[in-house]
Amino acid sequence: MHHQPNKMREILYVLCAVLTVIGQTLTAKGETIVFTPQWTAQAQFAGYYVAQEKGFYREAGVKVRIEHSSATQPAINRLRNDECQATTLQLCQAMELIDGGISLVNILQTSMNNAMVIVSARGKDPLTQRGAKVGIWSVGFGQLAMCMSIKDHLDYQWVHFAQNVNLFVAGALDATLAMSYNEYYQLMQAGVEMTAHNVYRFCDHGYNVQEDGVYVTRDYYEKHREQAKRFARASRRGWEWAAEHPEEALDIVMKYVDKDHIATNRAMQRLMLTEVLRLQVDRESKKREFRLRPDMVQLASQLMAENNMLSREVKYEELVSEK
Amino acid sequence: MKDVKNIIRRKLSVRVSLWVVLFAAIIFNIALGFFFYQAREAVRQEAINRATQTLDKTSLFVEGILNRVEVATDMTEWLVQRHPDVADSMFVYSRGMLLNNPDFYNCSIAFEPYYFKDKGLYFSAYSKYIGDSIRTIQGGSDKYQYFYTDWYLMPTLLDHPCWTEPYMDLDAPTNTSEMVTSYCKAMKDEEGKIIGVINTSLSISWLSQTISAVKPYPNSYSIMIGRGGTYFVHPDSTKITRQTIFTHTFEEPDTALTALGHAMQRGEEGIKLMHMGGQKCYVFYKPLGKTGCSMAIVCPESDIFGGFDRLRQSVRIIVLVGLLLMLFFFIRIITSELSPLHRLAQEAKTIASGQFDTKLPELQRIDEIGQLSNSFADMQQSLVKYIEELKNTTAQKASIESDLRIASSIQMTMLPKKYPPYPERDDINIYGQLVSAKEVGGDLFDFFMRDEKLFFCIGDVSGKGVPASLVMAVTRTLFRAIAVHESLPDHIVTDMNETMSANNESDMFVTLFIGVLDMLTGRMRYCNAGHDAPILIGSGAGLLPCDSNIPVGVMQGWKYTLQETTIDPWTTIFLYTDGLTEAEDKDHAQFQEKRIFDVISHVPNEPKQIIEAMTQAVHQFVGEAEQSDDLTMLALQYKHQQQDIRYQRSMTLPNDIQTVPKLSEFVEKVCEAADIDMGTCMQMNLAIEEAVVNVMNYAYPKGVKGMVNIDATISDKGLKFVISDNGVPFDPTAKEDVDTSLSAEERGIGGLGIHLIRQIMDSINYEYVEGRNVLTLLKRLKVKD
Repeated sequence: MHHQPNKMREILYVLCAVLTVIGQTLTAKGETIVFTPQWTAQAQFAGYYVAQEKGFYREAGVKVRIEHSSATQPAINRLRNDECQATTLQLCQAMELIDGGISLVNILQTSMNNAMVIVSARGKDPLTQRGAKVGIWSVGFGQLAMCMSIKDHLDYQWVHFAQNVNLFVAGALDATLAMSYNEYYQLMQAGVEMTAHNVYRFCDHGYNVQEDGVYVTRDYYEKHREQAKRFARASRRGWEWAAEHPEEALDIVMKYVDKDHIATNRAMQRLMLTEVLRLQVDRESKKREFRLRPDMVQLASQLMAENNMLSREVKYEELVSEK
Repeated sequence: MKDVKNIIRRKLSVRVSLWVVLFAAIIFNIALGFFFYQAREAVRQEAINRATQTLDKTSLFVEGILNRVEVATDMTEWLVQRHPDVADSMFVYSRGMLLNNPDFYNCSIAFEPYYFKDKGLYFSAYSKYIGDSIRTIQGGSDKYQYFYTDWYLMPTLLDHPCWTEPYMDLDAPTNTSEMVTSYCKAMKDEEGKIIGVINTSLSISWLSQTISAVKPYPNSYSIMIGRGGTYFVHPDSTKITRQTIFTHTFEEPDTALTALGHAMQRGEEGIKLMHMGGQKCYVFYKPLGKTGCSMAIVCPESDIFGGFDRLRQSVRIIVLVGLLLMLFFFIRIITSELSPLHRLAQEAKTIASGQFDTKLPELQRIDEIGQLSNSFADMQQSLVKYIEELKNTTAQKASIESDLRIASSIQMTMLPKKYPPYPERDDINIYGQLVSAKEVGGDLFDFFMRDEKLFFCIGDVSGKGVPASLVMAVTRTLFRAIAVHESLPDHIVTDMNETMSANNESDMFVTLFIGVLDMLTGRMRYCNAGHDAPILIGSGAGLLPCDSNIPVGVMQGWKYTLQETTIDPWTTIFLYTDGLTEAEDKDHAQFQEKRIFDVISHVPNEPKQIIEAMTQAVHQFVGEAEQSDDLTMLALQYKHQQQDIRYQRSMTLPNDIQTVPKLSEFVEKVCEAADIDMGTCMQMNLAIEEAVVNVMNYAYPKGVKGMVNIDATISDKGLKFVISDNGVPFDPTAKEDVDTSLSAEERGIGGLGIHLIRQIMDSINYEYVEGRNVLTLLKRLKVKD
């Protein structure tokens, strides 16, 4: 009767030891996913920082390292060079890449709305500025703007920039593209007045095409299907948590911002987080859906194909995991 | 609070001091206010000058350095343009730039993509100081695509050289970053096509330090913002490059800050007074050369005006303390100056309480207070004297008043007081009343009964008081004295007038009404000497017609007229003095006759009730007003009733004494009918005989034949003999009672006879009616059991 508890304890010890070893082995088996958001640290990527900081990735059994790209080095270059395994891309960018022969898989779609706007200088209506010098990101967003310029016969003269606020404020540009969650607020912060007149929102003019999603190469996906899925699920959990705890999420964002010495501030990041979270809610279902919408893919594909930005229509099925 | 108010109200010293201090405070306030305003303006101007100078100095300093960069860049561009196709020489030029200008941060000579065919996409000759040595490399790469940078794009897009917004320059090989601003100039080929950009950078850490060091006041600080409003200099280092001047307004809208930001962005120069960081600050701002940056010095108002405010506070305290001291000393001084007044007030109080011999304080002062004290002493002496006199006067007055009271009571005793005056008579009812305005009055009324005639009078002496009362007494006495033997009112009045006007040195007179009412017939003879006409109250009411005679005592020898009327039974004769008609209320309206008739019409026809109702009406009318005149009223009600005649007999005799036995027989028969005892019958016979013989002897002149009628009636009132003749009028009753102490020879004819008649008969009455002498003799009959 006396040594029975000791026996039980021995069994428990063994069990614990076995479980620990198995766990470690499992973790070691999964390679580290290097995840590169397509811009410098900011609230646009709050969900991923949250997932990392709150341990959602660890809990999902994936090891993730977040490495940012820079304003002059596009994230896709890092994917191509195998410097990272996952990256965020805008839908149009992803379609361009697929058309260019790089096979990608959208493992998580966060954006449900288009955030791009044109802000024009001197309070003018962007639609009246034929041939204007308009700033566009050198890293390759803005495909829809090019389509619109052609379609509406505005013949904008595109100026590729790394950073647009100073050029715009100095009067070197007639108008500039901006993201409603980022440059739009930067311009406001620089004292540019936003009116209903000088801001053109693409989402309100038939160009409501989804933007940010997380992509991996199809190659990688085929080999690490389970890992990719876990990464996507944990990321989604990160976003959902951020939506419920925006201030705490903002704390986490500021930690990344400060680490990278990004010249921004909490007020700006709060505005950005709020706007990014808003863009994640589908206009029709009013829900955070985290899915690619075939209709939006089709719309983007048609627009870009029509304007010779794609050599062919890129199908919805080419973007998602299961062909 | 109430106590303070009370003190202010009670203390002259406090009040005067408060006024003085109040005026002083107003003057001080105005003067100091003006001074402070001027001083504050001066301090403000000084602060503006100081800040402006600092800004100008900094601006000039920056300008100087910027000019050097611009000149050096122009020189280099000139060199590049000489050999634009020799790529490697660009390294030499960029290096040369730094060699010549060791304070420059770096220099890039960057070209359009693929400008040098053999150099590929990127070519940028980039030199930078590393310690003391210069490192020159090719700067473009996939990681640093310079042609998308601000410094490359800006001069090409703007088409003129320009300074970029300050930015963090990351030196990739050393991984160091530095805040720089660059002067960029685009290079063009002969066709005007841009071939590249020369960029010369300056570290602005020195500029930051220079500007941060600008601190004209202990708590002031400087800021510098770029074109986009970004802070490049700010005391809070966390804001530098991370926030713009507008960031704060996102969370807390601040129109003043927004306006400042826009003004600085536009490169304006100026001063703004606004709230910064919770305090009021002056912000002086000015653009920094061509960099697009703007600098501002923020000076808290408390710093600028700190010394001034402290000075102002000190002056205020000094003035306040001074005013309080002033108030204190003023109250003390004035109180001490006014202390004699206080003592005088105390003494005055003592004097007022009746101690007139109180000793006043002696003051050795010749000012107003001294004069007041002297006047007060004089007044005290006068007062003592006056009070003494007053005491005597009062004593005298009391004595006079006592006399007057006695006089009044004496006067009242002269008036009839007993009502009804003739309780045994049922043919007359009288009531009279006199209310004097003063202790003694000049009104009178009187009545008495003689020989079945009621003599009555009412009068009003001119003037009031003691003289009038004396005249009244004289009048009443004369009336009584004359009426005793004179039955005609005009004779009575005439006699009275003669007596009174004879020695009337005081010119006093009396209005008088005298009436004589025959009780048997109701005939009234009367004479009115200037008095109000009486009112007759019967089935109706009306004034008794009166002749206009002058009052008694005015003129000697005046013939007063006689008037006559018959008073119907149950008629009341209401007599009054002008004290009734002329009674005044407080508005000096008079009572007047109309009201008398009003009262009469509402009152039962009874003397006492009429007078009482009239008295009440007058009191009501007069109300609170003082009684202006004596008020006298007399009411007489004649109630003659037809007698129940049981027996009547008459006879006529000639004026011949021989017929007297017939008379005796007649009388005896009458007495027998009246059941009168023998003794009385004999006495009556004697009396009748005396009266008839008297007529026979004297009524007709000698030798003239005349008749004398004797009527006898027996009624329940008694036995009545009426002896009448148509001889000369002669009133035997007007003879004074005979003095029986005299001998028969000494006494006048007839006198003894009348005396006899009076003794025997109960009443005797003479009337002259329609040319006949009528003498009525009445003997009351004893009622048999």
